[in-house]
Amino acid sequence: MIKITELEKIYRTEDIETSALNKLSIEVKEGEFVAVMGPSGCGKSTLLNILGLLDDPDGGSFMFNGIEVAHFNERKRADLRKRNIGFVFQSFNLIDELTVFENVELPLIYLGVDSAERKKRVEVVLDKMQIMHRRNHFPQQLSGGQQQRVAVARAVVNNPKLILADEPTGNLDSSNGNEVMQLLTELNEQGTTIVMVTHSEHDARYSHRIIRMLDGQTVTENLLV
Amino acid sequence: MIKNYFKIAFRTLLNHKAFSFINIIGLAIGMTAFFLIFLYIKFELSYDSFHSKADRIYRVVSDIKTPTETINANCPSWAVASHAKQEFPEIESFVRVSNARLLVRKGNIKFQEENSLFADSSFFQVFDFKLLKGNPQTALKEKFSIILSQTAAKKYFGDTNPVGQTLSLTDRNLNAVVTGLMQDIPENSQIKADVLLSMPTLTNEFNKGLDDQWGNYGNRTYLLLRPGTEPKVLEAKFPAFLERRNGKEMKQSQMYPTLFLEPLREVYLYSTRDGSKTGNITNVYIFIIVAVFILLIACFNFVNLTTARSAERAKEVGIRKVVGAARLQLAKQFIGESIIICLIAFAVSILFSSLLLPLFNQLSGKVISRHIFSHLLYPFLLFLIAISIGILAGIYPALILSSFQPIVVLKGRFTTGTKGLLMRKGLVIIQFTVSIALIISTIIVYNQMNYMRSQDLGFNKDHKLIIDTDGDSSKSAFKQAITSLAGVTSTAMAGSVPGGGNAGAYSQIENVKGDMQVANLDLYFVDFDYIPQYKLKILAGRAFSRDFQTDTSQAMIVNEAAMKMFGYTLPKQIIGKKFDQWGRKGVIVGVVKDFHFRSLQEVIKPLSIRIEPNFCNLVSININSKNIPSTIAAIENKWKELMPNRPFSYYFLDDFFDKQYRSEDRFGRLFLNFAVFAIFISCLGLLGLASYSTTQRTKEIGIRKVMGASVPNILNLLSKEFLKLVTLAFFVAAPIAWYFMHKWLQNFAYHTTINWWVFVAAGFCALAIALATISFQAIKAALANPVKSLRTE
Repeated sequence: MIKITELEKIYRTEDIETSALNKLSIEVKEGEFVAVMGPSGCGKSTLLNILGLLDDPDGGSFMFNGIEVAHFNERKRADLRKRNIGFVFQSFNLIDELTVFENVELPLIYLGVDSAERKKRVEVVLDKMQIMHRRNHFPQQLSGGQQQRVAVARAVVNNPKLILADEPTGNLDSSNGNEVMQLLTELNEQGTTIVMVTHSEHDARYSHRIIRMLDGQTVTENLLV
Repeated sequence: MIKNYFKIAFRTLLNHKAFSFINIIGLAIGMTAFFLIFLYIKFELSYDSFHSKADRIYRVVSDIKTPTETINANCPSWAVASHAKQEFPEIESFVRVSNARLLVRKGNIKFQEENSLFADSSFFQVFDFKLLKGNPQTALKEKFSIILSQTAAKKYFGDTNPVGQTLSLTDRNLNAVVTGLMQDIPENSQIKADVLLSMPTLTNEFNKGLDDQWGNYGNRTYLLLRPGTEPKVLEAKFPAFLERRNGKEMKQSQMYPTLFLEPLREVYLYSTRDGSKTGNITNVYIFIIVAVFILLIACFNFVNLTTARSAERAKEVGIRKVVGAARLQLAKQFIGESIIICLIAFAVSILFSSLLLPLFNQLSGKVISRHIFSHLLYPFLLFLIAISIGILAGIYPALILSSFQPIVVLKGRFTTGTKGLLMRKGLVIIQFTVSIALIISTIIVYNQMNYMRSQDLGFNKDHKLIIDTDGDSSKSAFKQAITSLAGVTSTAMAGSVPGGGNAGAYSQIENVKGDMQVANLDLYFVDFDYIPQYKLKILAGRAFSRDFQTDTSQAMIVNEAAMKMFGYTLPKQIIGKKFDQWGRKGVIVGVVKDFHFRSLQEVIKPLSIRIEPNFCNLVSININSKNIPSTIAAIENKWKELMPNRPFSYYFLDDFFDKQYRSEDRFGRLFLNFAVFAIFISCLGLLGLASYSTTQRTKEIGIRKVMGASVPNILNLLSKEFLKLVTLAFFVAAPIAWYFMHKWLQNFAYHTTINWWVFVAAGFCALAIALATISFQAIKAALANPVKSLRTE
């Protein structure tokens, strides 16, 4: 599903050039659950952003479902993103002014799904995440665990082929964290490809494969299953 | 999607009440000021445009060249209209109107009708004034036909039909038949009348032969040209026409008129021939500029506050982009929000406008509009403007917000760029430039008003009561009778009083070279008591005196301006020189010091003064300041005794003279109000910006306090940057305001100088207001517990 070859990303400030990704090559197959680990600044978040089409690389190739997307413009990237990729963030990133229902509904709105269909799909996914009873609450009224479940619900509501999770349990206690990891595992079992960046060895063990990175390169790849 | 945008817009507004309030109120006040000024300007521009043939109607005016000067008259001579009609097929029709002061009586009801006109029978064909009853073709055809406005008719006949009824014109000793009832003439007409008397009454009865008089002015003439006529072409034919018809007389009198055509719709605003009573296009332009600037200030607030808050919206933008929003969709969302805010502001401004309209009408001195919905188009235009502001003011924030990179904003690495900051600073400078310029201008306008009021006018205007006898045969007896009343210190009679109109006379005076020089001189008819009573200062020769019998027929007094006009440098040089004026011949017996017989907007003109009891209808009465009501009551009793047929009315000379400054007064007050609006909106913006700036610097303030900064240190830190902007704005505003006000002052022949303290005062005023605005936020931030503010990071 994902094949990156010799990917490069360089951050430039006025006098310093930092290479965040240094000719990195990775492949992720459809249905895989991959964890990316490494110390802070090793380039794992940069990798995730490029995989999520939120950032573009400075060199190398990025094939998504067999299409070269490394040089897509913003409009094309946005289009590909909304149809194929769901995101889960450490800090949940829900819109405070929207209710649970409206937050989850958002990707469907941008996909142009009609209102009745949206309602049906949002309810199904809220039910699945067991937060249906909170549908009219605003994010500030929820616990961290609940907020992350809303974020996961939002990530999966349009049935993306790929979910990118950036330290999804980083802001949660262990029990809520486990619940979220359980959710992601279930999604993966249903066929969704997941790439997760994490610092937690515990969380990484939920995945099929751990990619360890250092200074913008892959150091090791451990197959867990 | 749209529903989602609305939802988020309203929730954002509700969640940030202070911000929403500042934004909406600022915009609403800006729109209200703009709308009211728009109504005012629209009204000023609407003068005389309600006539369906307005584009073909022209007023005929003339420049009369004499050997001494050129007189810019607002009329041609009486003969021009009818003779031109005979000669030029381009002229479809003409109307002449001439002022008539009528004492109208019906039984016991009597009124001095100040607003009456003699009018040609074509009045209702050329103009669109509406005749409700009567035949518009014939109503003014016959002698002694009178038409009343609805208001006038109500006074005499109540609700009964006035047509066919008779009114007596007491001072003319005749009866007139009401032949028509006309709708009240609208406010935005420069022709105003409550009573119309048929022109033949004047030309065939009171002043026979007027139709053929080429040297007699005193009517306003309007021509209706045939469609397709080029006024300039017709104008070019006038000199030959005058030469043919009147050449001989022109040579004899040495007065050479040139005729011009003024488009009817431009007369009110553009013509300078009617004195200060008419509109002023410069003021209209000034108000257009003020309106646009106030609206701009409000828009700048909006842009500033929205972009200042962009950090708060950044996360939302990031999330939306991540879940699939394209930049255009986001831009649309933010522009949509901006439109919603503007529409709410529009609704508030409609409310404000309808509440303020009566006040504004009062302030502007005319009913510019009875109701803001009188013309539905205007509020609709404001609605469109609101949407346009929403789009235009929304574009910049929308572009900024929609350009955020989701990874940057979601990772919390987002900072507002220096570019946005510079832009905000620039907008604050512009806002304060406008506000300070308005403050400076307001002070200068008020200074000028004070200057005009405190200027020595060269005559005594205090405690002077003026009564118009309108030529009643008992006027001298009346004067005699009141002179002995307790409370009356002196009386005098004259044809004119300062601040009012006076005659202009074709005159010949022996100049310094010994020639009889022709000139048009302003003319005051007075009696022997006038010069002492008005305390006019004699510079050479003497005042009129009963000791000289010839003073009533062969003496003239001139002012300094007249003396200079004829080439003399010292007053005594003109004493004993010959004059010939309107058939009167004699010598100049005295020179009075120049006094302001017109407003200070005008240069003191050459004036001649003569004794002429027949034309002295105004009684000036100096009264004691004690017991004024009882003195007036005693005067009224004498009036009723001697002139029982005339309604008693009087005015005070100082009020009367002051009336000339009414339009400047209004201008000043309007200016003051809009300056307050502008500074208020600017301060709202400043308040918003200061609040965001202190929020953004919470951590910095915390660290500084931990490091030992005192409250005044912090206050200084936070205020300094804004005060710098206001100071910069002052340096931009001062020369601009100086330039425009310097030009404005040129409208006045006598004007104040622009003092340096005006600028200092305005600058301090702006700084103080800005400082007060910022301090509120700064003190709050400076007093905050640093531990708390550092924890927020």
